[in-house]
Amino acid sequence: MKNRNNYKLDIIPGVVLALFSLFYMSRIPGIKVFKGLGSTPLNNHFIPWLWGGSLLFLSLWLIVRGILKYRRLKAEGVISGEGSLFGALAEKREVIFSFIALIIYVAFMESVGFVIMTCIYVFVQILILTPVEKWAKNIVPALITAVITGCLLFYIFRSVLNVLLPVGMFGLGL
Amino acid sequence: MILEGILATCQPLTILWIAIGVAVGIIFGAIPGLTATMAIVMFLPVTYSMSASQGIAMLMALYIGGISGGLISAILLNIPGTPSSVATCFDGKPMANKGQAGKALGTGVVFSFVGTLIGIAILVVLAPVLCAFALKFQAYEYCALALFSLSMVVALTGSDMPKGLISAVLGALLATVGLAPIDSRSRFTFNLFQLNNGFALVVLLIGLFAISEVMSFAESVRKKQDFTIEQNVKMKGAGFTFAEFLAQIPNAIVSALIGVGIGILPGIGGGVSCMIAYTVSKNTSKHRELYGTGIMDGVVASETANNATIGGAVIPLLSLGIPGDAATAMLLGGLMIHNVAPGPLIYEKNGAVVYAIFTAMLISAVFMLLFMLWGMRFFVSVLKVPKNYLLPIVMVLCGIGAIGNANQLFDTYVMVGFGLMAYLMIKAKIPTVPMILGFILGPTFEENLRRVSQLSSSDPFYNHPIFCVLIVATVLVVIFSARANIRDAKREEAAGD
Repeated sequence: MKNRNNYKLDIIPGVVLALFSLFYMSRIPGIKVFKGLGSTPLNNHFIPWLWGGSLLFLSLWLIVRGILKYRRLKAEGVISGEGSLFGALAEKREVIFSFIALIIYVAFMESVGFVIMTCIYVFVQILILTPVEKWAKNIVPALITAVITGCLLFYIFRSVLNVLLPVGMFGLGL
Repeated sequence: MILEGILATCQPLTILWIAIGVAVGIIFGAIPGLTATMAIVMFLPVTYSMSASQGIAMLMALYIGGISGGLISAILLNIPGTPSSVATCFDGKPMANKGQAGKALGTGVVFSFVGTLIGIAILVVLAPVLCAFALKFQAYEYCALALFSLSMVVALTGSDMPKGLISAVLGALLATVGLAPIDSRSRFTFNLFQLNNGFALVVLLIGLFAISEVMSFAESVRKKQDFTIEQNVKMKGAGFTFAEFLAQIPNAIVSALIGVGIGILPGIGGGVSCMIAYTVSKNTSKHRELYGTGIMDGVVASETANNATIGGAVIPLLSLGIPGDAATAMLLGGLMIHNVAPGPLIYEKNGAVVYAIFTAMLISAVFMLLFMLWGMRFFVSVLKVPKNYLLPIVMVLCGIGAIGNANQLFDTYVMVGFGLMAYLMIKAKIPTVPMILGFILGPTFEENLRRVSQLSSSDPFYNHPIFCVLIVATVLVVIFSARANIRDAKREEAAGD
């Protein structure tokens, strides 16, 4: 069956990438050009202009392709109804929560410390990846896994393999 | 140098790391959704404190184990553990359904070993030849080679050419962050000193492959997984007779050559090679109607090809510094971390490491054969490991990998950013593999193009026949792939209507 909304997979990325390429190219004039001995005829602006311009061109190509698809599907009368944005986000809630958990994990790792943040993150992430109806059975195993993971990895990587993992405000592991 | 490399790998500790690498690789390959690339990502930080030979030997072991392990779930679950085992499902699962699960697994394991050996043999012969040839390369040739490699990637990764191009350009564009080549002026750093060296390849790869994998699992939390593990696995020896083995040799050789050939091409991995080898084997067989019903030939073609791809993919990695697929891109990151610069001079500068890599690959292949023949029951039980527990630990290890790359926490923020970008790209059906190649080849192209702009007045391009050949080849690839793309798009539209 034809994906009736696949024109969106052209238009939305096309618009986002076009805006990104415009932002990228707006920064190019600010790059200092080297004009001393040994400078090259193609300066350090050339390649950024080339990639930025190419991305803009390809993004516009996607947008035009998406619009043409939309027009054709509309003429055929096969455009499906718009689903609600809230519904779509709710459908992806595990993904959204996973990203939020990951962002909080890396954002607070330096101040709170690797061990504590890892214990919290692993516990929360296990629950996110577990169907809600199975949470009751999984809380204790998740907690044990989280604590063992946090402490063991900190010991192995900081003490044995000398990776500079953040100790944080409580100075755990010192 | 050869002896030094062999001796470095034959140390007890290195062999232990190789054994661990192969076992972990097989587990990652066996569990659907976890790939060889993720295994390498996860264990990269473990190798930071090892010597170059030890660290790279372990990464190679993970790679070989990861590609080989995919056959277990392909045969027992009908779900390929890795994309490299897609075609193994076609005959592997029907064999298991007929009560021949042990024979299917034995065939897969033995011919994975055969494929790996053929790949390594071709690698050992071809890599120095390619290195010697590449020594003639100057700015013109490198510039054209980068362009040609990018065109190949775009041509061969999927039917949607604009999106393939977008991915490659986006990768090249991200590589412009940091100090510019030749004049070292900072670009797009937003006054953040952490960006002066640009984005690290390892961090990009972790974001692209590990985070997006966790997110795609998160999408399926509420979906019921409908599969049953074939429990009736009895392994006696390899599961097939010596006469059956001999009868499969021609099929294995052709499939291995296809695997190596596909592996050499940038951006295409075992997923494509096993499909092509399966199709060729089927089309040239006298009993093609039996393919798909559960015969050895299909498993042999797929498994020999995907393992031979390993040797093929390592050829351009070592001799030109161009990875053949995502896993070898990760290996490139590993080589860089251990201060080994792949390229034509690798034999002169790091000859011992190169021979250590060859030896490690050989030992890994032997371990893979032994572990999978005698430890199959264990690996089958691994399929029951809950991914909701495993993936968060993988994520933490990825974070450690990002931190350990340059001992800075900033890289974890970049990792999350790339992960989000990769997830959105996958949702928009933009392939991520061309992006890696764009990221790796973009700086090579820029540096050499700017050198060419300096040289062009005194040393015109027509003095460089390799450059001319590569440019013509690039133009041909673009024309043919554009035609194929238009044809595919029309066919898809017709099928949709």
